[in-house]
Amino acid sequence: MNLMEHMGIEPGRLQFSWISSAESTKFVETVKSVTQAVKAIGPNTTYKKNPVKVA
Amino acid sequence: MITFKLNGKTVQGEEGQYILQVAQRYGVEIPTLCHHKALEPAGMCRLCTVELFDGRRSRFVTSCNYPIWEGMEVKTDSEPVHEGRKLIVELLMARCPDVPILKELGKKYGISDTRFKKEEDTCILCGLCTRICTKMGNSAISLTGRGVDMKVDTPFHIQTDTCMACGACASVCPTGHITLEKIRQNVTTHPFKPIASEYDMGLKGRKPVYVPYAQAVPNTPVIDRSVCVHFKTGGCQVCTEFCGVNAIDHTMQDEIVELNVGSIILSPGYQPFDPSKFDAYGYAKHPNVITAMEMERILSASGPTQGHLVRLSDHKEPKKIAWFQCVGSRDMNKCDHAYCSSVCCMYAIKEAVIAKEHSGSDLDCAIFYMDMRTHGKDFERFYNTAKDKHGVRFIRSRVHTIDPVPGTDDLSIRYISESGESVVEEFDQIVLSVGMEISPEVIGMAKNLGIELTPGNFCETTTFEPVATSRPGIYVCGAFQGPKDIPQSVIDSSAAAAAAGEILSSARDTLTKAKEVIPETNVIGERPRIGVFVCRCGINIAGVVNVPSVAEYAATLPYVEYASDNLYSCSQDTQENLVNIIKQKNLNRIVVAACTPKTHEPLFQETITNAGLNKYLFEMANIRNHDSWVHKNNPEMATQKAKDLVRSAVYKVALTQPLAEAELQIRPSALVVGGGIAGMTAARSLSRQGYETHIVEKSPDLGGQAKNLYRTAKGEDIQQKLNGLIQDVKQDANIHVHLNAELSQMDGFVGSFKTTLCAAGQDTVVEHGVAVLATGAYPYQPTEYLYGKDARVLTSLELDRRFMEKDASLSTLQSAVFIQCVGSREPDRPYCSRVCCTHAIDNALALKELNPDMNIYVLYRDIRTYGEREYLYKEAREKGVIFIRYSLDRKPEVIQNGDTLSIRVVDHILGTPLEIETDLITLAAAIVPNRDEKLANFFKVPMNSDGFFVERHAKLGPSEFATDGVFLCGMAHYPKPIDESIVQGKAAASRAVTLLARKTIHTSGTVAEVVPAYCSSCGVCVSICPYSAPSFIEETARFNPGKAQINPVLCKGCGLCVASCRSGAIRLKGFDNDQIFAQIAALNEAM
Amino acid sequence: MSEWEPKIVSFLCNWCSYGAADLAGVGRMEYPPNIRIIRIPCTGRMSPKFFLAALREGADGVWVSG
Repeated sequence: MNLMEHMGIEPGRLQFSWISSAESTKFVETVKSVTQAVKAIGPNTTYKKNPVKVA
Repeated sequence: MITFKLNGKTVQGEEGQYILQVAQRYGVEIPTLCHHKALEPAGMCRLCTVELFDGRRSRFVTSCNYPIWEGMEVKTDSEPVHEGRKLIVELLMARCPDVPILKELGKKYGISDTRFKKEEDTCILCGLCTRICTKMGNSAISLTGRGVDMKVDTPFHIQTDTCMACGACASVCPTGHITLEKIRQNVTTHPFKPIASEYDMGLKGRKPVYVPYAQAVPNTPVIDRSVCVHFKTGGCQVCTEFCGVNAIDHTMQDEIVELNVGSIILSPGYQPFDPSKFDAYGYAKHPNVITAMEMERILSASGPTQGHLVRLSDHKEPKKIAWFQCVGSRDMNKCDHAYCSSVCCMYAIKEAVIAKEHSGSDLDCAIFYMDMRTHGKDFERFYNTAKDKHGVRFIRSRVHTIDPVPGTDDLSIRYISESGESVVEEFDQIVLSVGMEISPEVIGMAKNLGIELTPGNFCETTTFEPVATSRPGIYVCGAFQGPKDIPQSVIDSSAAAAAAGEILSSARDTLTKAKEVIPETNVIGERPRIGVFVCRCGINIAGVVNVPSVAEYAATLPYVEYASDNLYSCSQDTQENLVNIIKQKNLNRIVVAACTPKTHEPLFQETITNAGLNKYLFEMANIRNHDSWVHKNNPEMATQKAKDLVRSAVYKVALTQPLAEAELQIRPSALVVGGGIAGMTAARSLSRQGYETHIVEKSPDLGGQAKNLYRTAKGEDIQQKLNGLIQDVKQDANIHVHLNAELSQMDGFVGSFKTTLCAAGQDTVVEHGVAVLATGAYPYQPTEYLYGKDARVLTSLELDRRFMEKDASLSTLQSAVFIQCVGSREPDRPYCSRVCCTHAIDNALALKELNPDMNIYVLYRDIRTYGEREYLYKEAREKGVIFIRYSLDRKPEVIQNGDTLSIRVVDHILGTPLEIETDLITLAAAIVPNRDEKLANFFKVPMNSDGFFVERHAKLGPSEFATDGVFLCGMAHYPKPIDESIVQGKAAASRAVTLLARKTIHTSGTVAEVVPAYCSSCGVCVSICPYSAPSFIEETARFNPGKAQINPVLCKGCGLCVASCRSGAIRLKGFDNDQIFAQIAALNEAM
Repeated sequence: MSEWEPKIVSFLCNWCSYGAADLAGVGRMEYPPNIRIIRIPCTGRMSPKFFLAALREGADGVWVSG
């Protein structure tokens, strides 16, 4: 993870979690928080290979 | 077919259909408040008004009840229609200003406030309620009065028993005018109660048509005839209108099916004890007194509160929770259940720990208990962690009464603490740890079957035939055999299957049918020709996702030759159709966009194999579980997501290649390591089921630890039974016994192991398909309590030996002391040895039989006579055996003073030191596993820190290893009494037979593969693989010496080696890098 | 599009989170439609290459769940 930060990838753009197959509530919560976190960081422009190519 | 124009587009409908029906099918939205699919339209709300041009002039009609005709032209959203609807909405808003659905409609039509005089009503007189009531076959309500006085009511405005309180009217009412409360107060005279969900312990309601729970098998809805309105009035049948495949048939009758079987296995289970009869606990009165089963649902993520811990009275988070143990167990006075239910201590601790995890550590959890019975594998550790790490309070006290705290929903209890003080404490919630009981229905069934029951109404069995009922051919497993937890039930069930398999072995494979094998078409080198099938899943997908547009879109993707949508892709006719299309269009890759591959991939794979395609040329796009079901309020995004998922699947499938599944012969023979009771039972069961078996025993004779045991808890003579078993094994021509033998070498894998046995310097090579490890355990040699220094201090096995030798001196003893937990439940050995409490108490009773006047003391920490072994504990107390509890920090002391041997212990009730003079001290020495590292290495099976083998799954795979083809039983798994060893021996044989009976197995095609040219022989894959699939090719090999290779038989396709290979030399077939990259690219395209 | 919506590529373990996602569907729970799921046999299959590729291809976020 530190390596990713070092490369300039904002923490939060890359998320990890552990959810068992019975934890649907946790799954939904995690989707929400991951989406929120990525929204907060904003669009990925740094790493996109060809920012012009937006359909 | 009638053709007409809808908003300028030519559309078609069936004769007799109404405009609204056709419009809905074409996705044209017409607002309506009074329409219901299952009811005759009435045109009451007028909102669905549309403009109709009949060739000469335009007029306005209500689309819900205007039949279509050839050549008509309909406009649903013209300016005049819009204006007309606006006025209707405005008028409705004036009549019912506070109804949310009308406010929303107003917003949609740009009306902020109505110009008309406002009334206070909430009913728009749409008549849905009266029409549905008629449909229900009741007609309890109708539109009464005329003109401005018109309203929905019962005749003469009186409560009526015609209304069955079914609630259909409330369910269709668009405005919320009709509520269940109003029905109860004004309409019905019937008792009014929701249908309780059995699965959620009544904490939630359910419908008359319901799926019992999300994981139910089969996952098909059922109709509860006892509450379904149709079975009361003959009306309703609304469900049939909504079922897309006409699967509902209300005329179906119960059938009596007669089956010819060779054996019966009973697994009817138990029911949780109902504590409402205990007045003192007030379970029926106080909402915050709940059962542990209710607590399970409250803690469950799929439960009524989604796992949010709340108490029932006010839905507030509790701050203090107490658990009361032994409610309905170990209790003769109030409920006639003298047995211990075995599972409650552990589940209470589990619930307390989970509750703390859900609520944060400031939640106070207290467990009130008599003896803490954590005798299962790893349970004692869990208990210690709950106490020391999670801070769960354990209070040894039985609480008599629960009192409500006046003015609150809290509960007050008074109990006597361990130091003897009376304590009053308040709790927010109290959980009753209810025990198990056998239901009257099961008792009735047992009577019908003519099988005997125990005093606790469990099925009567013997120690040496623990899954056989008193009637030959009928076997039993699970909690009906005796109170037990999941692992023990799973072991039981395998054992019962083996027992039935033993008597039916001659019938094996006599009823199997061979499947027709369709030759596989070679597609290698062919350009991908992809077929995409998008499933509507009735309305499950199509109700949200625009399925036709997804199929249209799929057709535009590269290599897609064919795309279509189906109503139900998994139905029989669609499957046949799929095969035909694959053949017709010559497709070589298939994508099904439907539900989840976890349930349906095998089905579709089988279908494409029937069309001659390799089953790996297939991919699913999960547009139901991951899309339509979770984004129902966002159809546009859901449709977009479905397209993305389909694109991703198409890109991936284009890169798939047919994968081979290696066929593997299973050698029909077994090797059992260990000749104790468990090993011999396994061998005998395997042999009886027709498989040649080898037993390896390192000692000079068979029998194991059982040779040292006197009698069982049920009083059976162990030596006599053991000798019978040994004779059986020795005389069995199918069993080869290798005594004084050890394993010196082991090679191979599931289906073809090759083991070298070394006996008396001579090597024998045994080839076998499966292996069973039953290496057992041995007794701990105590160093404490003057053992070995005074001849009067024995271990329990040594005392058993004296009983067997009929030592006359035993009956002359004046006094005998038993010390429990010698070497068990200590920091060095933090597990319970499970058998010692029962063993000591039985020995105490045996001494009492010899000399009823003997003074006998049992010094214990917790008495763990689980299940019906509890009766022995009760009998011992009745016969005057004295039980004195000691704690780990104040262990008893043994003192030798000249000829006198005495023991000093602090009495737990009096709190004072006692000194007991005694003639005999028996130590309950711990059970220690034979930590055989060499064997573990041979079979690549893990051991835990105590030295017991680690099974595949603690609950669901207790008698097998994660390594395929290797099984486990007996005390090598965990300390256990004879009956449980026998059960597990049979269970291991049963698991082994599931493999042996297949004769051949197919490995998965999605396995890892090394590209030798890239391999740097670093060995990371070899060390990282949890299944030991990678190995080095021998240095002397002709090809690729020293490089890694992966055995596809052992590989589980997890991909760990692929990700960790620093040379990029390993690929995972079916989940190859290029495939995942293609998916990533596909998902990010067109963003 | 009025408001920017992130696109998140998710790698879910077949045995754990993928099953949880299925169950969330069975429970008809709603969540934001921004994630796109790629099923992997086990998070052990996950390689840094994949999330770098996802970011390079233009994903705004990557979520790996076991």
